[in-house]
Amino acid sequence: MKPRKCTSCSSARRNSISTFEPSAASAAALARLDTAIAVLDDALDFAKPARIQRVLDAGRKVLLSEGGFAAVEERAEAIEQAGLFAGSDWAQPNTLVPSLTSTSLTSPDPNIVVIEAISELRLLAVAGGQYRHPVISAEQAHHYLSQVLATNLTLLFTPPGEAQRETQGRLAGLAQGLLGHMAARIGFEDIVDQLIEEIWRIVQQRPIQTEPVRQMITQIAICQANPSIDLAGSGQGADRLISSLFGPTQASREDPGLEIYLQRLGSMDTGALQLEAGGCARAMHDTGLVSAYHAELIRHLLDHGDHLLAEALGLSSTGRDCLLCYRDLVHSLIQAAVTPHTPQAVYGLALMLERGILYQQPLAPALWRQLNLRLCAEARQRLSISFGESVDPDVRLLQGVLCILGQPLGVGQGNNPTCQSARALSMWAYNDPDYLLQMVAWAARDHEIIMHFEGKPVSSRESGAGLAPAAPLDLDPVSTLVVPHLDRIYAEMGRLCIGRSGDPHRWVNPEFHGWWAGRGFRINVDVASGQVADLGEFLRHFYASYHPYYNGNQPLIHPQPAGIAITDSSARFIGWHAITILRVTLDPQQLMRVFFYNPNNDSGQDWGNNVVVSTAGNGERYGESSLPFEQFASRLYIFHYDPLEHGELASVSAEELERVAEHMKSSWAEARWTAAATADLQDSIT
Amino acid sequence: MDYDPDKGYIALLGWSLNAIEAAAKFDRRYVVVAPDWAEEYCSEHDIPYVAWNFERLNDRSMEIAEQLKEMGVDVAIPLFEETVEWAGAINSVLMNNPRLLGQSMLMRDKSLMKRRAQLGGIRVGIFEEAHDKEDVIRFLRRVNQTLLKLDGDPNDPIHFKAFDKAGCLGHRVIRTPDDVDTIPEEEFPALMESHLDGWEFAVEAWIHNGKVRFLNISEYVTLGYSVYVPASPELEAYREQITRQVEKLIRTFDIEFGFIHPEYFVTSDGEMYFGEVAYRPPGFKVFELLERAYGFNAYQGLILAFDPKTTDEEIEAFFPREVVDAKTHAGCFGVYPRRRVVSKLEIPEETENHPYFESHELTPPIEETVTKRTAFGTHWGLVYFVGDEAKEMHQLLKRQEELDFYV
Repeated sequence: MKPRKCTSCSSARRNSISTFEPSAASAAALARLDTAIAVLDDALDFAKPARIQRVLDAGRKVLLSEGGFAAVEERAEAIEQAGLFAGSDWAQPNTLVPSLTSTSLTSPDPNIVVIEAISELRLLAVAGGQYRHPVISAEQAHHYLSQVLATNLTLLFTPPGEAQRETQGRLAGLAQGLLGHMAARIGFEDIVDQLIEEIWRIVQQRPIQTEPVRQMITQIAICQANPSIDLAGSGQGADRLISSLFGPTQASREDPGLEIYLQRLGSMDTGALQLEAGGCARAMHDTGLVSAYHAELIRHLLDHGDHLLAEALGLSSTGRDCLLCYRDLVHSLIQAAVTPHTPQAVYGLALMLERGILYQQPLAPALWRQLNLRLCAEARQRLSISFGESVDPDVRLLQGVLCILGQPLGVGQGNNPTCQSARALSMWAYNDPDYLLQMVAWAARDHEIIMHFEGKPVSSRESGAGLAPAAPLDLDPVSTLVVPHLDRIYAEMGRLCIGRSGDPHRWVNPEFHGWWAGRGFRINVDVASGQVADLGEFLRHFYASYHPYYNGNQPLIHPQPAGIAITDSSARFIGWHAITILRVTLDPQQLMRVFFYNPNNDSGQDWGNNVVVSTAGNGERYGESSLPFEQFASRLYIFHYDPLEHGELASVSAEELERVAEHMKSSWAEARWTAAATADLQDSIT
Repeated sequence: MDYDPDKGYIALLGWSLNAIEAAAKFDRRYVVVAPDWAEEYCSEHDIPYVAWNFERLNDRSMEIAEQLKEMGVDVAIPLFEETVEWAGAINSVLMNNPRLLGQSMLMRDKSLMKRRAQLGGIRVGIFEEAHDKEDVIRFLRRVNQTLLKLDGDPNDPIHFKAFDKAGCLGHRVIRTPDDVDTIPEEEFPALMESHLDGWEFAVEAWIHNGKVRFLNISEYVTLGYSVYVPASPELEAYREQITRQVEKLIRTFDIEFGFIHPEYFVTSDGEMYFGEVAYRPPGFKVFELLERAYGFNAYQGLILAFDPKTTDEEIEAFFPREVVDAKTHAGCFGVYPRRRVVSKLEIPEETENHPYFESHELTPPIEETVTKRTAFGTHWGLVYFVGDEAKEMHQLLKRQEELDFYV
């Protein structure tokens, strides 16, 4: 296997540590650190605590600079000798617990993150033999570090999540960088199996942004191909993942490179081409990942009949019908968007055809407009900055459009506080795709989006700052262009609500998302005091609006925006988060579940107290998250409904309401619970 | 470090870890005099210690002086405003010189201090004592009448300083009679001064045998917010004049040894006005900044200046040359939360990324609601900067005032 040959995936190893050459800036930072260490070393024992902050501040600067991890590792022994860890748990590295590092590395306190990072780097120096430690051997240190890597795999390979971003700010990338450095030094052998499991869990959610997953798979492929890395029997489950990227078919099995593959295609008869088409399609639908070979095959098949094309896209009868109906459009889309640099366009196209949305009248003309759209300079620049110049920005955008139309639930917010905008994009792609295309056209062509708030036009160009401090760079192409506009408009709508009593989402959500977002609004938190309020009615109303047993067995018609209180795995409150409720229905175990979309990049989250969001295995469609109804209700704090349909409150049993209330009390609402809330709940029950 | 038996035995009045560490590493025998809560810590870390609760001087004050005398202590060094008169009282016993108590009382009363300065021919602004709010309103009105203001013109502010508080504690700027209402009763009696538009700065002077042995000028970027040492070349240009003023001050107050920390104004015509003087180390960690800039330990300098057994040679060998020996500029900024409700500490990115940024001692907020600042108040912690260009340092410190550290 020579994965580097595949042009689309030849990215170098992420977080790889090249030889360390400090830049001018980091030389100054290093000098600061050395002085701080010397001052700490020189201090008398009782005065050391007052000198530690300077080492941590200087250390953080070094850690955040290029080559910083290696530089701190070199100084680890001096730092420990100076007394940085004295009197703390870190002073006894032989008793450290690897699983605790995931908490400390994501701590909101920068000092904890930095001291943990320095401690890991110290152990790395011990494991590497540069530092002979009095209480821990090199082997013990190595074992400890591999356990740390395994426990923090998610951190290692995924961009910082909502919780981490919210609590850590700029430091959010430090843990990832540190783990990358450790992985490069310790090696992946011990952690590959866990990594593979992790990759499967993520691809099952079918994100539009596949770059992080591709990087992980490339890592494994590199490890497997490197004779000096002993995987010792691990990594078996990676074959499907690696082959889906680097050798999905008979003719590409040994990753021959695109040129040779094209030559082979040229000499194939229909039967052989059909085998190739089937192989590519199976790999793609198995993993959601598309090989660059697949993109070449699709382009090649444009001249070989639509039957083979449908086969290579893995289409069912619905998709094939759609392809045949809109043959010219599909051919043009393939010609414009499918390249070895944009292979995921194939998957987006296939799923879009399967959804049958081309039969909606405005969609085909809107896509023709998209094909001929002239991007403004700002849009071109933004796409180039985010995605590089390997293909033209128009191609990149068109790929993004196909993907978002095919995978509306695959939109992620990246490392940005823009869950509202990501949710809106996903909702439009899901529910109102031609409106989405209109937004894309405005943003890409005019660099301005105008929405209306209660009749008043709100322009993205004239609005002030949004929630994200700078234009995000880690999003899919459509989000990259549209989110900055939406973010500003959303923030402006919020500003227009200043002075109104109550939560602004009441007015902003329906105006921002679309007419189908219910104008009725319920919240169970008193905005002024932050205390839980009106809980009984809130819950009974939610059951009456959404639970099929209480609403006359009416399935949810339109996706509805809702707000949840996000908690971490210890059920501690982290922040408010925007999601979309998609469906409420029985799962295969006959348990009533809420299926929802979470704009977060990885929806499989542990919210504590056994509330673990499921992303597969309980009847979820790709990209959906789900929770049993009760558990979902316990994290909900805002929902919308149609005020005209507002019937009777559901007669939910007292036990069920109390169970939900208990879930709330033991998690996010712990500090928000008052005697009044209990009384209110009791009133509602009787 | 082992101490030199030929040198003095000194007592540090008040609790300061940095001072204790400096003493522990120096060649003088020392003892810390501090409230009894420090006892456990001192025995744990082998810090010589005598328990004493500093309250107002009273009948028992003699006890601590006698105890220290019996121990063979040569001199007591005040570390905080509250221990200045204690040092005066104790030293008058230790050195058999009753004048030292009176001298220290002058230092503790801002009004007496001003009168004494005035008697010595030192320029001061218009000032008066206030015993109640009526006095403040009358003074505000009279000062503004003097300035030929008409009814309705905005008032020139006056400064209101509680008599015996250190630095910015209890320092208020009063512009309107409404401001007067916010002064709590316990801040009276107080000193009121007219406002001088000018450049305010502080001086730290180490005195031995009646002579200034090291004189530092601390430049305030904004009073109560930020300071850096050594001062900018523009302010250092006044060094000659400033030194003469400080010498005048020493003569007027009859100071033979120790350390003073006066504040002055230079008005736009180059005239120097005396603000106030303290007989203790300055706030805002100026000693720590001096160590960072020059490399000498200012607390050890303090010990030298107080110890009657210090020789001239020792002093000369200890202190560096002013300004020219400074390796860099060191400054700090006192952070006040700017918002009414804060939830976390977040050092601004531009601050943290500035090459001058060194460290900070801010702690996460304990309460979400910020109490409204009435007086200049106390900052929530300091942020330290180190760098070579005074101009850059000045702008950097100024810039910090516009940033949120607590959000």
